[in-house]
Amino acid sequence: MIRNYFKIAWRNLLKNRAYSALNIVGLSVGMAVALLIGLWVFNEYSYDRFLPDADQLYQVKVNFTSQHDGKHTQNALALPLAEVLKKEYPEIKYVAQSDWNGTHGLMVGTKKLYLDGSAVGSDFLKMFQFPLIKGNANTVLKDTYSIVLTQSTAKALFGNKEPIGQLVKIDNQTNMKVTGVIKDLPAHSSFRFSYLFPFSFTETQEGWGNTSTDWGKNSFQLYAMLQPGVRYEKIAPKIKWIIRDKAPMMSPLKPEVIMQPIKDWHLYSDYKNGVPVGGFIDYVRLFSIIGVLVLLIACINFMNLSTARSEKRAREVGVRKAMGSKRSDLILQFLTESVLITFISFVLAIVLIQLALPAFNELTGESITVPYNIPAFWLAMFGYIILTGLLAGSRPAFYLSSFNTIKVLKGAIQAGKAATLPRKILVVVQFSCSVTLIISTVIIYQQIQHAKDRPSGYDTNRLVMSDMSDDLNGNYDALKNELMQTGLIEDVARASSPVTDIYSHTTVLNWPQKSATDETINIGTVRVSDNYFKTVGMKILQGHDFSTSWQRDTGSVLVNEAAVARMGLKNPINQEIGWNGGADKVKIIGVVQNALMVSPFTPVEPAIFSHGRRGNQTLYRLTANADTHTAIEKIEKIFDKYNPAYPFTYHFADDAYNQKFNLEVLVGKLAGVFAALAILISCLGLFGLVAYVAEQRTKEIGIRKVLGASIGQVWLLLSTDFIVLVFISCLIASPIAYYFIYNWLLKYEYRVTITPFVFILSGAAAILITLFTVSFQSVKAALANPVKSLRSE
Amino acid sequence: MLSLKNISKYHKAGSLKTTILNNINLDVDAGEFVSIMGPSGSGKSSLLNIIGMLDEPSEGYQYFLNEPVHQLKEKQRSALYKKNIGFVFQAYHLIDELNVYENIETPLLYQDVKAAERKALVADMLDRFQIVGKKDLFPSQLSGGQQQLVGIARALIVTPKLLLADEPTGNLNSKQGDEIMELFSKLNKEGMTIIQVTHSEKNAAYGSRIINLLDGTIESSKNI
Repeated sequence: MIRNYFKIAWRNLLKNRAYSALNIVGLSVGMAVALLIGLWVFNEYSYDRFLPDADQLYQVKVNFTSQHDGKHTQNALALPLAEVLKKEYPEIKYVAQSDWNGTHGLMVGTKKLYLDGSAVGSDFLKMFQFPLIKGNANTVLKDTYSIVLTQSTAKALFGNKEPIGQLVKIDNQTNMKVTGVIKDLPAHSSFRFSYLFPFSFTETQEGWGNTSTDWGKNSFQLYAMLQPGVRYEKIAPKIKWIIRDKAPMMSPLKPEVIMQPIKDWHLYSDYKNGVPVGGFIDYVRLFSIIGVLVLLIACINFMNLSTARSEKRAREVGVRKAMGSKRSDLILQFLTESVLITFISFVLAIVLIQLALPAFNELTGESITVPYNIPAFWLAMFGYIILTGLLAGSRPAFYLSSFNTIKVLKGAIQAGKAATLPRKILVVVQFSCSVTLIISTVIIYQQIQHAKDRPSGYDTNRLVMSDMSDDLNGNYDALKNELMQTGLIEDVARASSPVTDIYSHTTVLNWPQKSATDETINIGTVRVSDNYFKTVGMKILQGHDFSTSWQRDTGSVLVNEAAVARMGLKNPINQEIGWNGGADKVKIIGVVQNALMVSPFTPVEPAIFSHGRRGNQTLYRLTANADTHTAIEKIEKIFDKYNPAYPFTYHFADDAYNQKFNLEVLVGKLAGVFAALAILISCLGLFGLVAYVAEQRTKEIGIRKVLGASIGQVWLLLSTDFIVLVFISCLIASPIAYYFIYNWLLKYEYRVTITPFVFILSGAAAILITLFTVSFQSVKAALANPVKSLRSE
Repeated sequence: MLSLKNISKYHKAGSLKTTILNNINLDVDAGEFVSIMGPSGSGKSSLLNIIGMLDEPSEGYQYFLNEPVHQLKEKQRSALYKKNIGFVFQAYHLIDELNVYENIETPLLYQDVKAAERKALVADMLDRFQIVGKKDLFPSQLSGGQQQLVGIARALIVTPKLLLADEPTGNLNSKQGDEIMELFSKLNKEGMTIIQVTHSEKNAAYGSRIINLLDGTIESSKNI
């Protein structure tokens, strides 16, 4: 029986090639989109969960409450907390400290690498059980001067030589002995280190002083592993007030200790009021919905085309019923047919995915592959085909099988017409989804453009930033001179952070207008050299720049407008403020125009600039007529001369600035692609539908033409119906899109205002596309010779 | 074999009641070959549809093989006609996508006949109608007479007790029509009960009884 169904389905497929092609192409694009998004969602969900005992792994965080900023959650913690958690809570098996995965120079012989690595507590690898190819997790991080490399780092440093026991010179200063090799981290790991070294080593290096006992130095990350069987809920109340109880100095900030399970790290990074409220999960959900919608649109195509051409199948239904077929047999037959078409579409969808994956991976920065070798995948795909087939085929199956035997055998039934209203509703659903996506995409791009148009407060053109090492700091003056001598560079300066970021924060305790109830200010701090503001192009609005000698400026700072506003200073120049715990009094010598150093979507935060000697970054601007490529080549030689231990690195400030829009641009691009595919699939369906309507109305069109209707009138007759449907869709889509996009924009403090223009424009575009699609068929029908169509009667 | 008592059929459209069949009483015995005649719109096809259980009467009692059809549920009715009644249509109504062999085989699929048995039965039928050579052709490749032959073969494959034919020769030329009628006559002699609707006096004469319908009532019934 089933074989018979497949046979007839196959023959039907071949007989109506154009129709089958429309169906299969539409369905396969829809299935490819849904499957691709599915793979992506699966990838996002699989982050970090591959680690053994993942259920017991947590990151420790703290909630601070302040009057001005409300409750905010941070990962930066003080080290004494680690000791307390380890010693006083038997529910916790391990605790490991970590720094922030900084970039260090690794050197073996003449080989220089500049890679990200973390300093971690000795239990780190016992908690996060990344497989060790060489070495033992219990011992590899024990010795202060040891280092664990990932496989590719080891390979880059030592080639095929045995790395264990070899020495690696870190930051051109200390030799570390390789004690272990870790398998390269999978792409879906939140950790991104290329090597690990003991936390005890950093403590000896950085000269932080009493960090291990000072509860005020919140500068480190802590990870914890619970004992097997212990649930976080059980210990949450016990650990909540540790800091308040142990460190009275911190209690004004009401510190609450919390933990986040590893499975949530990737997706739930946004905390509001001390609880995770979302993060990347919002986009995962958003695109899941889009995937389902695109698939639905494709299924609707199938439904509409199948029911529209039902007249052709009606007779078969009648005959089969007269021969004793039950309705359920017919339903099964039509479902078999849709599953067959779905299967063919799936095969095509897999081909499409293979073609699209490289571009998709580049766009999302992931490395997604289709897991062909996993049986569970094929099982899931089997389910996917069946479900899609049933979704697409159910309506045609129930509709077609409902035909009355006698009526269809007599040809008394105008089968296609009975389904007109549901079909119209389905078309409206399709186009509502598509138009919603179009409107959303347009507004996402408007928002990106809106933020990009915002004046940054500095000039990123031809501005280059290079990381600085100790060697470079020591040779800064020579470096600067030589750079200037090339004639390729306008200005040089150095600073503690790139112009596109602020690395450190401090507190301003006192300022002249401070009222008794006012809290201290969390302020971004940048240590800069002389000539900094000129180099980056920041305007000094009041007062003056630093002098050429940092020693003369130890008591002077410049602040930005936001800081002046926050402190409420009327005449900021020469006012004294107390910062860094209040001990140091400094004088404001100048006010700098607000600059978007952190996020282009939030108000500029208060910032303070001090004059200092060392820097993390050299900033220099190329001259307007310098050829970038040759200039960089020459500059590299100069850097190499003064910085032999590190490879030369550089970033263009405009690239760094544009990276601030990465997430938004990604979302915009994805939404755009899916919107385009949605409208494409919808139009494929419409194309087929109009063809059938034109066919059904051949006789009517013939008669009208004989009676004197012009081609234009016939075209209008056939097109109007569909244009009206798309117009209705626009009306439905507008409020839905408004609702979604309004909520999305709420994420951003600096956001574009939504104008009706976008809705009108998107609607007009959708109608235009529809008109184009419909006209192709309706003009063809209108041009047909009426004599022919009438003779066939 | 079958008995109709006071069968009426009417359509209501608003307050307008259109009567199609009015108080029909009819008994058909096994082995009869009944021809139903009458002008267009007299209700011939409606009567045949009711006999074949494709349609339900508005009023009256209907018995088939001593089963009270009017009391049966849809499922039971369908099971009853599936086993016992074969249909032949004026427009043949073969399935275009299936070839001759598959068209004949289809009713067996709906009766869950095993594959091997199906094969034997269809082979027999092809043999009997001498269309073995055409078994792989599709309906569009056959002449009208040949298509109707396949239609009849398909109707007979389930070995029905009753064969219903709605103007089986209506789309055929007279030579082809005669051949089909000869075949019916032969089938009847072999014991098949046949009821046909026809316009043609000549074709009606092949039967053993002629019933004349006029405006939904039986005007006359005479044995030949």
